Amino acid sequence: MDPPRRLGPAQIDALTQLGVSTILLGGIYALIAVGLTLIFGIMRVVNFAHGEFLMLGMYLAFWAFTLWRLDPYVVLLVAIPLFFLVGLASYVLVMKGVIAASHNVQIFTTVGLSVALQNVALVAWTGDFRYIRPWHSSEVVRVAGTAFNLSQVVAFLIAVALTVTLFLFMRSTHTGRVMRATAQDREAATLMGIDTGKVYRLTWAIGIAAVGAAGVLVSPLYSVYPTAGLQFVLLAYVVVVLGGLGDMVGALLGSLIVAGVEVVGSYFFGAAWKEVLYFVLFIAVLVFRPAGLFGQRGSEMLGA
Amino acid sequence: MVAWYGGALLLFGAAALAPVAVRDAFLLDALVIMLLWGAASAAWNVAGGYAGQVSLGHAAFFGIGAYAAALAGARFGQSPWLGLLAGVALSLAAGGIIGYLSNRLRGPYFALSTIAFSQVLLIVASRWRGFTAGSEGIPVPFRPGFWTLGLGHVAWVYLALAVAVLYYGVQVYLERSRVGYQLAGVREDEDAAEALGIATRRLKVVAITLSAALTSVCGALWAQYVGFVDPFYVFSIDLSIRFALHTIIGGIGSALGPYLGAILITALETYLRATFSGVRTGFTGIYLIIYGTALIVVVRFLPEGLTGLLARLRRPRAAARVADRAHA
Amino acid sequence: MLTLEGVTRRFGGLTAVRAVELEVARGELLGIIGPNGAGKTTLFNVIAGYYRPQEGRVLFEGRDVTGRPPHEICRLGLTRTFQIVKPFGNLSVLDNVMIGSLTRVTSVRSARADADRVIEVCGLAPYAGARARALPIGLRKRLEVARALATRPRLLLLDEVMAGLNPAELAGMVALIRRLHAEGLTLIVIEHIMAAMMRLARRIVVLHHGEKIAEGTPAEVAADRRVIDAYLGEEFVLAEA
Repeated sequence: MDPPRRLGPAQIDALTQLGVSTILLGGIYALIAVGLTLIFGIMRVVNFAHGEFLMLGMYLAFWAFTLWRLDPYVVLLVAIPLFFLVGLASYVLVMKGVIAASHNVQIFTTVGLSVALQNVALVAWTGDFRYIRPWHSSEVVRVAGTAFNLSQVVAFLIAVALTVTLFLFMRSTHTGRVMRATAQDREAATLMGIDTGKVYRLTWAIGIAAVGAAGVLVSPLYSVYPTAGLQFVLLAYVVVVLGGLGDMVGALLGSLIVAGVEVVGSYFFGAAWKEVLYFVLFIAVLVFRPAGLFGQRGSEMLGA
Repeated sequence: MVAWYGGALLLFGAAALAPVAVRDAFLLDALVIMLLWGAASAAWNVAGGYAGQVSLGHAAFFGIGAYAAALAGARFGQSPWLGLLAGVALSLAAGGIIGYLSNRLRGPYFALSTIAFSQVLLIVASRWRGFTAGSEGIPVPFRPGFWTLGLGHVAWVYLALAVAVLYYGVQVYLERSRVGYQLAGVREDEDAAEALGIATRRLKVVAITLSAALTSVCGALWAQYVGFVDPFYVFSIDLSIRFALHTIIGGIGSALGPYLGAILITALETYLRATFSGVRTGFTGIYLIIYGTALIVVVRFLPEGLTGLLARLRRPRAAARVADRAHA
Repeated sequence: MLTLEGVTRRFGGLTAVRAVELEVARGELLGIIGPNGAGKTTLFNVIAGYYRPQEGRVLFEGRDVTGRPPHEICRLGLTRTFQIVKPFGNLSVLDNVMIGSLTRVTSVRSARADADRVIEVCGLAPYAGARARALPIGLRKRLEVARALATRPRLLLLDEVMAGLNPAELAGMVALIRRLHAEGLTLIVIEHIMAAMMRLARRIVVLHHGEKIAEGTPAEVAADRRVIDAYLGEEFVLAEA
């Protein structure tokens, strides 16, 4: 009989690497997903155009770098207020009219927005895959014995900083509390004199600003093309459903789980099949735990 | 509920006469595509419009049909008709699964799960090299004859027309029959329908399964007609959205709506392709900007689509009366 | 006709209905009253198959229907209405009622004739072609009753069909319920307001915190110490809301 296999240095090393990769990836996914879950939690709308705002953020970073050599991290300072404004505008023009409509109307509205934005990008910038290579994308950093490029590490740090800021905003400011009150009970909020229209406008704008910022942050790491948002937004749906739609802390945990599945899945099954893993996980969670892995609320009520 | 027999007669009659009047392959090609898209959208309408189960993953069934027909010919040397039947069988099974999901999930949750389902099939089809030829896709061999579905343009027009008319008939049945009324109840309010003695869960599964099988037939025919199956197209979210788009713009829950939408969208797409194809890559996307915007405007201001608009134009007084009541 | 044996339904730590015993005879018009949150609607949901009770049984015409799905219970002859009315909003009043009729008749044509009759009985004939969504609340409550009647129940559960009606509408609804009862239909009527019920039902059951605290004629119930205490807990709604 063989002696039991022990974890040798090589395995421990691999484990650390997988762990660090998971955390780095998870931080970025969290920023992408947090806007989606915020919008769902407060407005009860699944934003099917979420990925398109991410794509626009990537293009913004791409053009700023290509035309003016502006580093994405500099662009970020402009991108956040800019996408906040884009969010305000798209809310007033598109979302405001359907906020009280049926789920199906809301689904088609955001799907329509997604189709329109994707093709604006296609017509304006063609379907070519484009990428930028700022200096930090080729700078190697070693974290826990694993090589990452600097862009990845910085993107992670900024994503975490932004997500934490958003959390603090929701927890400790008056506006944040008003938003959470609205999420918990729309009618009660209205009765208490909260202007829910204003809350929705702000929620949408913050959600869009967060995902636009995420787009800028991932621009040195992934190619940009008109449907680039899709791969991320599918991930974000998985994250948000795992965490329980509308649950911000859940979204953080969900991000780590999805990143973990992706990292571990690629390690064992190859990159080709990792997506199957998380979609299967996604469907399984939807079927067996529709309130999310950590959720307790009756999600059938949210879905109704 | 408006079945629009007159409009349908006009539309399908014109399609039937087209090959007699027109010999231009380009126009006949556009016609076949319009009819196939119309039929596929009508199939979507069975679940999305009549049963109120909005799927954004119907490409899954379209792709199953396309692959089944293509693989039957390319891999097994069988007739694509057999492939079509196999596709229907697989789609019935897949539709049952999706239908089961719809019983547990409502609204956006259901739409999300259908997207996930079609993505899983996309990944499987594009990565399972040994069986599906992976991401390169499958060229469908052209072998002349009806049994091998190697037909000329005129024959394709009539085949596509037959399917379109059949699906129109299915929808009219869903408007006029007992099952149709019950489905309308399920769509409007499931709890109330259940209280009135309707087996809502079973009915939803039946509608989605039927819709899946009908969609799959369109996929099989489309694969044979176009002659190539690309996994990134047949399983794409874009295609799923397209079925919904045609139906909503044409008129959701109306039998003629999907055809009107398909004709309008395909006509503009074809025109822009022909006009601007040399100008710049991606420029044809302009029609999708228009339709994305149209979708937003239609669901908000014209929720019954083109057929609803036509109804209002035809009976302005009746419409005004309804509006009065709505304000009362 | 309907028997509840020790029915209990809990939600998490909250017991919405606790060990309720109930017996309804054929041809009876039973009233169930109780303050907000007393478990009245939960009880209906248990009887009609929307919630499965954790304990106890529901017997309808001697048959155990506990845990059967609502559509089967409806087909057996027991139909309920919803407190928050659930009309098929985009359909006409006629179509709404026809969907109920089609549970009993298979042909669309006879369902239409059937629905026409029910609509007439319920005084909805002038609105048969109107969209349900466009109706004012009083008529929507009527539609709720009409649709349920179309399924030809032998026992009809009415959940607060009188709440929110103006005096004229209320009188019409009371007349309708009386007429249905006179024609031999067995009814259980839930109301939050006692006043209307006092005139309607011969026997009243009072629920409070999920338990049956009193049962008897309107006069007996109104004089019951526990009932008065229960209702005094909240605003005084004996007279009118």
